[in-house]
Amino acid sequence: MESKESEYSVKPAAVFEHPLVLTFAQDVKGFLFNHIGALILFVFTCTSVLAVLLIFLFVAREAFPFLGKFSVVEFLTRNAWYPEASEGAEYGALALIVGSVYVTTIALAFSVPIGVLSAIFLSDIVSFKIRGIIKPIIEILAAIPSVAYGFFAVLVLAPWLQKHLGFATGTNALNSSLLLSIMALPTIISVAEDSISATGRDLREASYGLGATRFETMLKVVIPASHSGIIAGVVLGMMRAIGETMVVWMASGNASQIPHPWWDLSQSIRTMTASIAGEMGETVKGSDHYRSLFTIGLLLLVMTLLLNLVSEYFLSRARKSTGKS
Amino acid sequence: MKADLRIIIDKLFTSLTGLAIASMIIALFVILGPMLYRGFGAIVFRGTVEFRKMQIAEFHHGNAEKVKQEAEKTQKVRQVVYDMIHRFRNGIDIEELENRVKDIHRNYGNELQQKDISREQYKELRDFSKEIRDKLIDTFSSDNIEKIKENIDFVLQYEMDERFVETVAIEYFTIARDFLKSSAKIDFEKRDFYAAELEELEDIILRLLGPAPDADTPMLAQKRYGATRLDQTNILFHQLFWKEKWVEQENSVALIKIENSRPEQFAGTELEPLFGYIKDNIKQMLNPKLTFYWRYFFDDSTPGHYFGGIGPEIFGTLLLTLLSMIFVIPFGVISAAYLTECTKEGPVVRIIRMCINTLAGVPSIVFGLFGMAFFVLFFIPIFGGPSQPCILAGSLTLAVLTLPVMIRASEEAIKTVPQTYKEASLALGASKFLTFVKVTLPAALPGILTGIILSLSRVAGETAPILFTAGIAIGPIPKSIFQTTRTLSYGSWDMAVSDKLAAEVPHNQFGMVVTLVLLILCLNAMAIILRARVFKKLKGH
Repeated sequence: MESKESEYSVKPAAVFEHPLVLTFAQDVKGFLFNHIGALILFVFTCTSVLAVLLIFLFVAREAFPFLGKFSVVEFLTRNAWYPEASEGAEYGALALIVGSVYVTTIALAFSVPIGVLSAIFLSDIVSFKIRGIIKPIIEILAAIPSVAYGFFAVLVLAPWLQKHLGFATGTNALNSSLLLSIMALPTIISVAEDSISATGRDLREASYGLGATRFETMLKVVIPASHSGIIAGVVLGMMRAIGETMVVWMASGNASQIPHPWWDLSQSIRTMTASIAGEMGETVKGSDHYRSLFTIGLLLLVMTLLLNLVSEYFLSRARKSTGKS
Repeated sequence: MKADLRIIIDKLFTSLTGLAIASMIIALFVILGPMLYRGFGAIVFRGTVEFRKMQIAEFHHGNAEKVKQEAEKTQKVRQVVYDMIHRFRNGIDIEELENRVKDIHRNYGNELQQKDISREQYKELRDFSKEIRDKLIDTFSSDNIEKIKENIDFVLQYEMDERFVETVAIEYFTIARDFLKSSAKIDFEKRDFYAAELEELEDIILRLLGPAPDADTPMLAQKRYGATRLDQTNILFHQLFWKEKWVEQENSVALIKIENSRPEQFAGTELEPLFGYIKDNIKQMLNPKLTFYWRYFFDDSTPGHYFGGIGPEIFGTLLLTLLSMIFVIPFGVISAAYLTECTKEGPVVRIIRMCINTLAGVPSIVFGLFGMAFFVLFFIPIFGGPSQPCILAGSLTLAVLTLPVMIRASEEAIKTVPQTYKEASLALGASKFLTFVKVTLPAALPGILTGIILSLSRVAGETAPILFTAGIAIGPIPKSIFQTTRTLSYGSWDMAVSDKLAAEVPHNQFGMVVTLVLLILCLNAMAIILRARVFKKLKGH
């Protein structure tokens, strides 16, 4: 007991061996330590910027010789993709571009209504407890790898479509769009739900106070108020769908044709991503075909960059509008 | 508008939103349910004696002595089938018979040369053998039953001849006897038809029971064993009893399937009882037992994943993901630290954030192109590495791909650390840097761990980026990071689409993809639980 007490008493509350004012050397050391530390952190942080630059640089580097040799306009507007023809290979990627846009559009036609309705369900209708159960389920849906979705499309959905809907082939535009819509759903739901719940309580209460039903409040007040966020979600979902490779490669049938008539979903199509994935393995490095695939990659990159800018614009608008209310 | 109508519309809307979320959840179950169920079959199934034989011969697992006894027991029941086919074949396959008779003659000649006999004697015996040979060959090609009987009788009278006893030539008589027996029942016009049919039948029997014990070990691994699982026998039974044929329809592109009964095709021949026998005795022939094949996750596989497990795929996936994590964690955490702690919002940070968002939006296949153009063809060769797809290139590509996920998750984690922690540290005189390292980082660690796990799960499932940078479908287990590797994701794709052999073993197809999905779901579940705990802890403050 006593020894302990003495221990306490021996130890002073603070040691003033060193003066509290730092010496010049210590000052400089601290300054350098802090700023060099920050500089190193900054350099590390710049890897993201470097990565983006390198991606553009290296994809473009492989693509540019092709663009110099063939006409860009023809590449974008002709429907003739015969890269492996022994004489007069043709590189008209219109069918591939149309294919990508086609499946993405159909996928969004499925997933946007379902996504927005689900977001409303989560933000305005259901209790916190159930919401806590459903959110992880959506996360699981987002986490399932695309190759597993593609696997399901080829080995489960395609035979089913063939058997029950009488399609000539089960791997077609409908199959891939369905899977793409499921894959785009989590993105749309989470972004839209964020923006819908960020719309203030005051707006809702004002509407309810005027005697509007929930449907009317949603349709006329909340959705208009949060439209920027919803659009951003849709654009992000679109990015996910257009850049998706494995599902469309496995489930779309890979026939490079423009669907005709356009509403017939049972036709096989081919997308840009699937062409790259499917043909790159067979090309000779440095050949025209190889470079043409890089050109498609560059086109995809530019498209996603533009979509990204659009989504950024809408997201910042959404942030601003919720900041005001 | 009427109030009732408005209320009805409102109720409809509410149920519609519920329906939307329900349809999504149903979609999840529809996708996962059948896959999980069928993938489960890769591990738990009724394994036959062929499965145990395969395990011992290919992977050296199991009790060899016990399996040998078991195989001998089943062999007794099977021998009837092999004998039946053997006898039937002797009656119809003329070419084969001719070859065999010629072989006997040749072997007999060789045998005679070893013996101590004079030159004249040798010549005489050989000529005699030749006479019998020619007689038999003549018999085989004949389609007159009277002539066959006559010829065979002529040959058989020499059966007890001392010149042939205890030599190879004794086989002449077994062949002759078998031929007489089977040709008595056969319509000679249909001999070619039976030969073709028998070929198919033998193929099915081979897949059901494996090669006959006296046959050579086949070159292709998938032909070395019969049905290893009881559920395979159902499919094989169907093929055994029903011969399917795809016929073109009029006015349609699609082919239509027609099935003919196989037993009917063999009606009246010696082979007719075979079908009934197989059906009655299949259990004794295969001896199925409930098997829990946990080694599925460790075993290598034969080409096309026909037999065996997915060990190398799991190993490759883990190697690739962990290596990419080593690259991405420092960059991710440091970037997040810089963005949250060291700077204020400004143009530089805006540009950095925009780049992170762009990086997150780049399609995965473009990462694949980038990985090939940059890491494989440019970056690794700079340091003297090989300019070809390898694990290092693949994991670097995946690291770039998952960088935004890592940064965002770490940022989130660092932001949730209460301001009071940092203020307390700063008040004690610690510098900003020291505060981050000693206070903020440890407090944010569980959150960062969540981010790491989520990045892991993202990386493990990616296929497109490793198509041209690291993945292969069939190949050896990598010994260094400068080699290609098999992975679960690449394997799932390969088995679903491009591997024809894998289509015959659906349990292995589903087993592979389910392992991948379960691995990722487990990682995600871990992340969700971890995050909930962090949330609770911080809320408690």
